[in-house]
Amino acid sequence: MRVSLYASVATLALSASLAQAAGHLPFTPGEGDFNWDSLTAFAEANDLNGEEISVFGPWRGDDQALVESILGYFTEATGATIKYASSETYEQQIVIDTEAGSPPNVAVLPQPGLIQDLVSKGFVEPLGEDTENWLRANYAAGDSWVSLGTYTGPDGEDRLYAFPYKIDLKSLVWYSPENFEDAGYEVPETMEDLKALTQQIVDDGGTPWCIGLGSGGATGWPATDWVEDMMLRTQSPETYDQWIKNEIPFTDPAVVGAIEEFGFFARNDDYVAGGAGAVASTDFRDSPDGMFSSPPQCYMHRQASFIPTFFPEGTEVGLDADFFYFPAYAGKELGKPVLGAGTLAFITNDSPGARALLAFLQTPIAHELWMAQSGFLTPHTGVNTDLYGSDALKKQGEILLNATTFRFDGSDLMPTGVGAGSFWTGMVDYAGGKDAAAVASQIQESWDALK
Amino acid sequence: MDNIAGQKSTLTWAVHIAVLVLVLAWVFPTLGLLVSSFRTSDQISTSGWWAALTTQEGQLPAIRINGQEVQEADLYVIEGGLFPDSDTTVTAWGTSSRAPEAHAAGDTAELKDGARLTVAGDGAFRLTGGQSWEGQRLPRVFTTAATPPEFTLSNYTNVLTSDTAGAGIANAFINTLTVAIPSTIIPILVAAFAAYALAWMDFPGRSLLIAAVVGLLVVPLQLALIPLLQLHNAIGIGKGYLGVWLAHTGFGLPLAIYLLRNYMVGLPRDIIENARVDGATEFQIFIKIILPLSFPALASFAIFQFLWTWNDLLIALVFLGTDDSTLVLTGRLVNLMGSRGGQWEILATSAFVSIVVPLAVFFAMQKYLVRGLLAGSVK
Repeated sequence: MRVSLYASVATLALSASLAQAAGHLPFTPGEGDFNWDSLTAFAEANDLNGEEISVFGPWRGDDQALVESILGYFTEATGATIKYASSETYEQQIVIDTEAGSPPNVAVLPQPGLIQDLVSKGFVEPLGEDTENWLRANYAAGDSWVSLGTYTGPDGEDRLYAFPYKIDLKSLVWYSPENFEDAGYEVPETMEDLKALTQQIVDDGGTPWCIGLGSGGATGWPATDWVEDMMLRTQSPETYDQWIKNEIPFTDPAVVGAIEEFGFFARNDDYVAGGAGAVASTDFRDSPDGMFSSPPQCYMHRQASFIPTFFPEGTEVGLDADFFYFPAYAGKELGKPVLGAGTLAFITNDSPGARALLAFLQTPIAHELWMAQSGFLTPHTGVNTDLYGSDALKKQGEILLNATTFRFDGSDLMPTGVGAGSFWTGMVDYAGGKDAAAVASQIQESWDALK
Repeated sequence: MDNIAGQKSTLTWAVHIAVLVLVLAWVFPTLGLLVSSFRTSDQISTSGWWAALTTQEGQLPAIRINGQEVQEADLYVIEGGLFPDSDTTVTAWGTSSRAPEAHAAGDTAELKDGARLTVAGDGAFRLTGGQSWEGQRLPRVFTTAATPPEFTLSNYTNVLTSDTAGAGIANAFINTLTVAIPSTIIPILVAAFAAYALAWMDFPGRSLLIAAVVGLLVVPLQLALIPLLQLHNAIGIGKGYLGVWLAHTGFGLPLAIYLLRNYMVGLPRDIIENARVDGATEFQIFIKIILPLSFPALASFAIFQFLWTWNDLLIALVFLGTDDSTLVLTGRLVNLMGSRGGQWEILATSAFVSIVVPLAVFFAMQKYLVRGLLAGSVK
């Protein structure tokens, strides 16, 4: 009797403190269709009063405000304070911090290749089999997520080290629906249709594509996404996996073919705004502006789900701009492959708080709170998908669920020297007019040099 | 003599032209950056900064009709202005991306379902339709128009007041000062002693020591980041202000010692020897004679070191950490640009916000800068 009385007093106090916190949290606990029960259950199971957890992530600016609002609920539920930090050079920062012995408790990174480096040096704590089983059971296509978070440890054993949280969708083509209506174009359903539409726009006197590869020190990465998408549309997923592990060389006809598929769009002066010469020099952030200028400089732009951030101010997704799935060849019977990217959370400095934070990321509420705001996709099957903050997100979620194949961004999985080095520069060379086979052998050489 | 004088005058011209070219090369981009800092990101991505200074004629991106619906008899009417905040003059307009100049200003266009749209020269529009516009997509208007120059202060309010990046600017400002001031004073104190010893005290291995200091000038500091942080963690300093002061001191010392030693060596030997004969100790010579005479060199090095620590991002991030509470000004400005960067308007504005203090320091001490520079290099 007495025990249950205390328990109910504790619950009362807890719900009072959750309600009180509503002032600076975007959603009031207990309201809306959120899975608040999971938060309450989590709060009851974890009491971390006075503990401090340092989190290091890739999100800055508006994204930082978003992630801090999610972590705010964790603080309310457990009493632990979270110190979130980020930096423009987060890839180098995390290496310096782990090497020097002052790592954060939890780190979040979008590059599996970099995580593998840290894991093999022994800086990352394994998450354990429970988390692995949880991922298999609760994430759609759970096995592919488990394999994404599994790395080879310092002892040569494969274990789950990182927890995927927050997914970006890459296989999207953005367009202005009204420009399509004005010209009488239809959204293509197959790659054959897309190529025909590209030619038709040219015949009508327009320019179909805006492509920009510029991105400061990372110039070239948008082209690697093109090639990966083309790889999935011309080859089987197994060939894609072999390519990423370099079990087939870069000079393989399959890879060279995918590069040339990208060249079909990017190397034709008529197909690209500003001509093929402008592809490598246009910044990827300025590139979509061409769709919204008058008269339109282009009709389509292939880019990941984050790109609306760089649309002109006031552009409304769904009204002024929309997207369709970057289609697959009808004739190749490879289904509907989807290319994505995402961030993975892992423990670099073990503590009860770090474990609790990873457990918090498994609760549906940690996903729902972010997806109800913006820029968040999740494969978590236990969430209420009605909560997606916009129709665009919901539509992207559907593309993710309808995918017959999901593959992670290949350049992120390759060794850093290739995936964030020679592959980027090679694609810039290719866009500048160099032969595909020559570019491929150059990238293969740099990969051989790393072995 | 005539010959020499003639040579001098042609040389003066060359110098003047060279100075002019250098000044232009610096002022021109700075002016562009200043103008850009008063423009919105859309303006920056669509036209160059020089275009912002005059009235621009051209085709503008589509503007969607927007306003309160009013019922007049059996018509549903929306009225308003396309350019509520500027004096833009419309010459031609259209509702299709295929024919953006289909109608002249003041014309009425027939849209589908019997709807009509009129756009006047000043951008005032009147949209009428047989049924309510509620829930329908309103038409877009493409305009060809003359836009007078337009500037905004919103970038500055954004940079100065936004807290999306976690840390407020006042906090970051104080953090930077906390880093920069001790990081300037400590190396000067140490280097002045060392430079005096290396210049005027005889001891074995002095030349070797000087050579070693010069050698240290070429060591890239990136090389030392991890071992140094490891050391700080091992001896218990960890990440904090003490660590960043020590790091800046260490990285600044070789240049400081080299610069000050070269200056002090050039001081007249007679004064120092006289002082020695009169019985002054080395410490007295240093305090009473060397320090006052070396002031230009000290000041010029102080400027160097202060500017470098003020603008530094790397060392502060590594040794101080990236928490919101310890973030320096440069770190905060970088974080403001968001996860994918590339926001020119923030970049331009940040540059002018962070330049204020270094400019003040420079103008306050610039007369020492040239003297000190020459002192270090010319003997």
